[in-house]
Amino acid sequence: MNNSIAVRVAEFLKDFQPFVYLNFADLIEISNSVKVINLEKDKSLFQINDQLHDSFYVLNSGVVHLTVISDSEEVLLNKCYVGDIFGLRPFFAKNNYQMNAKAREESIIYAIPIDVFRPYLAQNSEILNFLLESFSTNTKGVLDKDNTDKIVNSNMIFSDNQTDVSYFQSLSYNKKPLQFSPNTTVKDVAISMSENLHNNALIVENNFPIGIVSDSDFRLKIATGKFEINAKIYNLMHSPVTTVSESITVNEAQLLMLKNEVSHLCVTLDGTEKSEIKGVISEHDLILAQANNPGVLLKKIKNAHTSAELRQVRQNLTEIIQSSISKNLPLTHINTVAGEITLTIVKRCVELIILELGSPPARFAWLCVGSQGRKEQILLTNQDSILVFEDVVDEKYYDVKDYFMRLAQKTTVLIEQSGFNISKNGYIESNFNWCKSLTDWIKQYNSWINTPGENSNEIGTHFFDYEMAFGDQNIEDMITENIFKNTKNNTLFFDFLGNDTLKKPAPINFFKKFNVEDDGENKGKFDIKTKALLPLIDAARLLILSFNVRGINNTYLRFKQLAIEDPKSAEIYLDCAEAFIKLSKFRTLEGLKNDNSGQYLNLDEFSKADKESLKNALAPMRELEELIKDKFQLTKFS
Amino acid sequence: MIGWIKNINKKYPEFWKKYLSTFEEKSNRYVSISLGTTGLDSEKDSILSISAISIVNNTISIGNNFEINISQSDNSEQSSSILTAKKEEIEALELFLNYIENAILIGHRIYFDVEIINNALDKIDCGRLKNEAFDIEIMYKKLHDLNDDKSFSLDELVSFYKIPKAKVSTPDEAFSIALLFLKLKSKLGIV
Repeated sequence: MNNSIAVRVAEFLKDFQPFVYLNFADLIEISNSVKVINLEKDKSLFQINDQLHDSFYVLNSGVVHLTVISDSEEVLLNKCYVGDIFGLRPFFAKNNYQMNAKAREESIIYAIPIDVFRPYLAQNSEILNFLLESFSTNTKGVLDKDNTDKIVNSNMIFSDNQTDVSYFQSLSYNKKPLQFSPNTTVKDVAISMSENLHNNALIVENNFPIGIVSDSDFRLKIATGKFEINAKIYNLMHSPVTTVSESITVNEAQLLMLKNEVSHLCVTLDGTEKSEIKGVISEHDLILAQANNPGVLLKKIKNAHTSAELRQVRQNLTEIIQSSISKNLPLTHINTVAGEITLTIVKRCVELIILELGSPPARFAWLCVGSQGRKEQILLTNQDSILVFEDVVDEKYYDVKDYFMRLAQKTTVLIEQSGFNISKNGYIESNFNWCKSLTDWIKQYNSWINTPGENSNEIGTHFFDYEMAFGDQNIEDMITENIFKNTKNNTLFFDFLGNDTLKKPAPINFFKKFNVEDDGENKGKFDIKTKALLPLIDAARLLILSFNVRGINNTYLRFKQLAIEDPKSAEIYLDCAEAFIKLSKFRTLEGLKNDNSGQYLNLDEFSKADKESLKNALAPMRELEELIKDKFQLTKFS
Repeated sequence: MIGWIKNINKKYPEFWKKYLSTFEEKSNRYVSISLGTTGLDSEKDSILSISAISIVNNTISIGNNFEINISQSDNSEQSSSILTAKKEEIEALELFLNYIENAILIGHRIYFDVEIINNALDKIDCGRLKNEAFDIEIMYKKLHDLNDDKSFSLDELVSFYKIPKAKVSTPDEAFSIALLFLKLKSKLGIV
């Protein structure tokens, strides 16, 4: 009998690995034996130590998380998205499942019987390779979605923490170390090291390493006057050198350095002192080898040429954030790292477009506004920026403006391709309004500050938190100058802001229950962004402007600073600072769990203790509210 | 009463008897069906195509499906073609009954589907369908406690549950209905 549903299934499969290797007739044949399963949210498909199923699985819609239990905690190994295959274990092994597969969202899963698929495996080596590869690659490869073409792995060597896997990778190190004979003078060695920007050099005899000198030796032995700078280098060197073979791992190298109390290892062909030199490993290389190191990411960004490369960095950043949070690093620190990396990505995007368009006809500044301006952007939220260019003579104005419009437009596209959402509010640089000359911007700010509520009820509070990503420092300074000149003693403006701040809906209702969303897609969830974070952010901005403190854009630091400026209420401010961090953490965790902005907390998933802790974090807001009511006259606009 | 007496003497076709005999046991199988018809009047209109797919143990078996088209006779044509068309319809219904057996039927506005099948069965001297039937629209309303005057098209329901939309054809509809049924079933806690 004709089976159009099988055709529909086959048409879905044909776009994904490894099914691309099969012809359509075979796919229909396979589809005929597919079973379709609907997995409700939080239900498991299989669990650790379950007996093997007779099928493997392809995700048709939804999200499935693969997890293992480590230290009696459930640890996420992998997230499967549409088209990912998982549950391959029955192909290769006879023992029971080694992980849990649990639906993170309601999912539709196609189960393909192993017996039906196995013959194709035998006929088609590409499929076999693909499955083997996906079965055996370790976690590292899997998270690099681009390289693995949507494989999800089923066989993980799982050490305590996911990122620890990276310690077992091999290192990259300096393969062309500087080499000198023992009789070279100290001065010559130092000159050569400076020229080549190396902090170490090998001393060799008959092509075998006999010693090593590094920067510290010059400090300890030359600058202190122990030796003349014309002395022979062999007086300075550490000998013997600790040698290792090429196949060393990061972990081993680290241990060797600690054991021998050295900062450099010499790599030789067979790992002994009596063989050919292959390179030098420094402590620095070890740090860099941990691929998820922020420093490495910054370097990668600076060398990136395509949006794909930047996107990869952004993905790595998410991993860093995830592991930092699981290791309980302070959120302020994570904020700084994430902020710096995001800023560098934006900067690189602008650079790349300038390379494409040619050098700009006037000076300009690219300012990140909103959350990035406050260095509070951790998750993949909106990336808002504005462009300010220097004033030019009238006849050049249109050319200049045209150039910057194009620059803004192209950069926005590139940023978007690098994995950031572009603001939904229309604060887009390419938007005519947000790419303006300095005079126009100052006018804009002045109209917000001096006539609030007159032209529109919306005031770009967003725009008072900015950070320069690229361009001329003077331009940023001029804007800052202007803002503070105008806001000083401008009660009207502060009153408006105050009203705006207090207008946000209360997080907790009269009955001490969370005010959750009444309807819509997020019904029953708690909007932590609008109801908890934004009021704090707005309040911090309002107060810091009213105290005329400049240069602090971060909400946490603003509260800290306020405690110093206004000692009477210091306690409230400090409580707010802590609360803000706690709330941000809730949001970040939610965002990481669901791959979104984390704006809506699903309270049903919270434990009682978490709920209490969330409620406590919301408590200081009431006092802050009173403080604002006290400080500003809020009647004018209400 | 009179109808019942009339039925005693009625001679049923073999396949109908076989169909009835399947009801001696209770079924754990669901069959989602979708019909193509000439219109929305269960008295006058006739069936163009039937598609169905079965659900056992909360899984849809793609291989266990049913698809048939019935060519329609034009009334103006000669009686011989009407006869063959009629024969084709009998065959289709016979195959369909063999396929569904005692399964519980699932559909979108299933009562219309059942009604039009009953009318067709009536024409060929068979009784009415004995299967239980679930309607996904009613299930959805029950889940959300909605009142009766609201109605939801299949398209709407499919988009509520983010099921990938497919082209409009009865097999695809049957598949979508089956997916919706799985989702609604687990939410309503039907075992």
